[in-house]
Amino acid sequence: MPGKETFGESEEEAAQYDRQIRLWGLDAQKRLRGSRVLLAGLGGLGAEVAKNLILAGVKGLTLLDHEKVSEESCRAQFLVPVTARGQNRAQASLERGQNLNPMVKVLADQDRVEDKPDDFFLQFDAVCLTGCSRDLMVRVDQLCSKHNIKVFCGDVYGYYGYMFCNLGKEHNYVEEKPKLVKPTGNDGPEAKKAKVDPNETTMVKKTASFCPLKEALEVDWTTEKAKAGMKKTPVDYFMLHVLLKFRTDKGRDPDPQSYPEDSRLLRQIRDDVLEALEVSADLLNDDFISYCFSEMSPVCAVVGGVLGQEVVKALSQRDPPHRNFFFFDGRKGNGVVDYFGPN
Amino acid sequence: VALSKVFGSLRKELHDTLSTCKVLVVGAGGIGCELLKNLVLTGFKNIEVIDLDTIDVSNLNRQFLFQKKHVGKSKAQVAKESVLQFCPTVNITAYHDSIMNPDYNVEFFRNFMLVMNALDNRAARNHVNRMCLAADIPLIESGTAGYLGQVTVIKKGLTECYECQPKPTQKTFPGCTIRNTPSEPIHCIVWAKYLFNQLFGEEDADQEVSPDTADPEAAWNPEDTAARATASENDGDIKRVSTKDWARSTGYDAVKLFHKLFKDDIMYLLTMDKLWKTRKAPTPLVWQQLEDSASPQELSAGSGLKDQQVLGVWGLCQLFQHSVETLRSQLQEMGEGAELVWDKDDPPAMDFVTAAANLRMHIFSMNTKSRFDVKSMAGNIIPAIATTNAVIAGLIVLEGLKILSGELESCRTIFLNKCPNLRKKLLVPCILDPPIANCYVCASKPEVMVKLNVHKTTVLSLQDRILKERFGMVAPDVQIEDGKGTILISSEEGETETNNSKFLADFGIRNGSRLQVDDFLQDYTLLVNVLHTEELERDVEFEVVGEAPDKAPSPQTTPEEVNSVTNGNKDSAQPSTSSKAEDDDIMIVDSEEENEGASSSTAAATSGTKRKHSDAETGETSTKRPRTDQSSAAAAPTDDDDDDDIITLD
Repeated sequence: MPGKETFGESEEEAAQYDRQIRLWGLDAQKRLRGSRVLLAGLGGLGAEVAKNLILAGVKGLTLLDHEKVSEESCRAQFLVPVTARGQNRAQASLERGQNLNPMVKVLADQDRVEDKPDDFFLQFDAVCLTGCSRDLMVRVDQLCSKHNIKVFCGDVYGYYGYMFCNLGKEHNYVEEKPKLVKPTGNDGPEAKKAKVDPNETTMVKKTASFCPLKEALEVDWTTEKAKAGMKKTPVDYFMLHVLLKFRTDKGRDPDPQSYPEDSRLLRQIRDDVLEALEVSADLLNDDFISYCFSEMSPVCAVVGGVLGQEVVKALSQRDPPHRNFFFFDGRKGNGVVDYFGPN
Repeated sequence: VALSKVFGSLRKELHDTLSTCKVLVVGAGGIGCELLKNLVLTGFKNIEVIDLDTIDVSNLNRQFLFQKKHVGKSKAQVAKESVLQFCPTVNITAYHDSIMNPDYNVEFFRNFMLVMNALDNRAARNHVNRMCLAADIPLIESGTAGYLGQVTVIKKGLTECYECQPKPTQKTFPGCTIRNTPSEPIHCIVWAKYLFNQLFGEEDADQEVSPDTADPEAAWNPEDTAARATASENDGDIKRVSTKDWARSTGYDAVKLFHKLFKDDIMYLLTMDKLWKTRKAPTPLVWQQLEDSASPQELSAGSGLKDQQVLGVWGLCQLFQHSVETLRSQLQEMGEGAELVWDKDDPPAMDFVTAAANLRMHIFSMNTKSRFDVKSMAGNIIPAIATTNAVIAGLIVLEGLKILSGELESCRTIFLNKCPNLRKKLLVPCILDPPIANCYVCASKPEVMVKLNVHKTTVLSLQDRILKERFGMVAPDVQIEDGKGTILISSEEGETETNNSKFLADFGIRNGSRLQVDDFLQDYTLLVNVLHTEELERDVEFEVVGEAPDKAPSPQTTPEEVNSVTNGNKDSAQPSTSSKAEDDDIMIVDSEEENEGASSSTAAATSGTKRKHSDAETGETSTKRPRTDQSSAAAAPTDDDDDDDIITLD
């Protein structure tokens, strides 16, 4: 009888990952087991993504965050102990993060993302950015996709959240499809006409193509095609532009402590952005303003769940990725996937 | 607008409500762990959580409040402790208990402003549904399986209750399919589980494994069936001696057992030649032949899990022998009258079913299955991951916030798909439906009509199979409306036990009789109208009028048929025809696996009416289009099959 450590998968891993191996298969689990991921930003969303990736069983996860644990941080995420006020957020998240799954190598890094040299990113298979400015995300995205590193971005603003991914010009994956049986199929003694064999499936190879973040954000809305597609375009896309601009201008996100000024500013930025993009001023009304303050935990859970699963899919190269944005509106319960970028 | 300084986008009023209200979380597993975390971080200050289960290593890939060192401990208890680690100021009470314990009565439920289910079985869901109706407390119901999930809100008088729409009940396959003409691996697996019980566990008359001589398909004409049936009564070997007695008489000799099950019984089946007119006939196995022709054991080289190897026939013979011997010793050690209970996590029990099922598959010309796959099917394992549960738990809290803000009209049922639908939606909110007028649970005077044979249905059967299993009662009291108020069943132990083995007819119950059934814990009264019939389908003990008869799925079950809300592995959420759990259109509202001692058969076709769901945004109603057979999808060159809109709750 073969030994306990069989074929590279230890019994411990098999037992712990059993329920997910039964879903995505052993191959996928092995690819995860060989992947290293960088996660920037350990706020509410970051903590959710960290949890999801650690539980999934990646090889290593580096938590990168220069921020300190604040009064709000303790309430915003569940990895940071209440005693960690004043500590670095990545460092403070390390212990509870590691305890989620000792088989994953979890590291904490206190630097700023912008201070990292280019080659820092090259050690990772996937990079996930939360809480980063637009320019930073664009720069990292450009760098990483050049080296075939999968890029993910995501943020939560109150009841709203989004995720973006760039898996490269040629992302290969497999999709499991039911197999067709021939009439004399051997999964049943009854002779039947050609049908789906419910007990056997086949893996189909597919490819998907992604564009850089820069292009995704710089869609030209003045073209006929763009105008025609406007009706079906989620307004969340434009809301994202507004919130990213706010972040760039103020160096922070809307803060409930500064509600009156920040909401005024948001309104102004909304007007400016819509004008600059040459789209209708009616596209985005004022409603969103009072609902986009501070990361809401359940929204982090939803966006973090979707984002986490996209990272898992991309690393395991299994199942069609969402292309290329996911927007969540926690007020309506709507979650949409849409593509923005050149065709 | 005054925003809570700390809680951002929450209005101050809402934040204050969260600080003072009490909420109940039923279940501390996959959804429960995520939910507790979300509640606490959102600002809920008073939470009670209940779960009867203990932590297992297979939980650790998603139930993140638990670590390896906690295996074996109470989920509710450890969940509470973990939560306190990151939020010491929350008031959280943990109950290591079943929610169906009468301690948790209507008064108990009335303590809460909101109840959230994080369950994995239908019985508990039905029960909590009734308790929340009785207490008039809003309930958020949810479930996940694989990549799919859903959330919905239940409020008495305003929305459908959990039981307004009929849900498929646990199906069993027809006896003759299991005993005579299996056509799919699942039939063989069910047979093997039955066999386990017959040999080592509690013998059950509904779990026969020997050839069914009274199989109507075997008869060339109807008289034949009756003749065969009586003949078999007299034929000592096949029917008279119970399988267990026979096994005992041979000392549980594995090879003798092998020959009876895999040679002699198969040869008997071959004599029922009509069965094999259009089917491929089974081929009996001879132990010695297999031993002689066995090739050196080839282990699949490289990369699989040990459990994922597929054994050759001789390997299966050895596995069979080895497991029989182990189980035999286990039984001996336990002493006289001992019975084993099948458990997927008990290696010899699992080995036995793997071996027996695969040998049978081999006999019936099916591709054999690895232990890994057999375990999935036999153990009703629903694959589960952290992210799906995280999303659903997030949605639960968002619905909860609407409820606590008094915005019930903005509550929705939300489905989580694997892929975006035609309208690009990954998360699909749907407007909630109003209660069904004649719902047998939430209508003002619930009533049902049940077809059964009053001469063949025992009082015990009425209580257990019909009232408890089918109608979800926990402790029913039954009165006959005969002018005398005769008490048929009392929920008090011992009071009516002598009635159990008697038939309903013995109490004067006949066609048109009415039974008043009360479950005082659930504050629920159901009037049962009895329709006597002598013509029920084979293997069917009763039928609820207004619903299609329970049927096992045909081998090529369309996803449409399986597309229904099934709840709990006890009810076998796993389709019989697929060893992989998910399919985009299947709305399985569950996680967690469970061992059901008896048949592990699976959910099947449901009659349920198709629901029209309004798309929350457009106000359109979309009837679910049945997803076409995969064959047509496969035929399309660049298809993406998952084009369907809304998934119906059936």
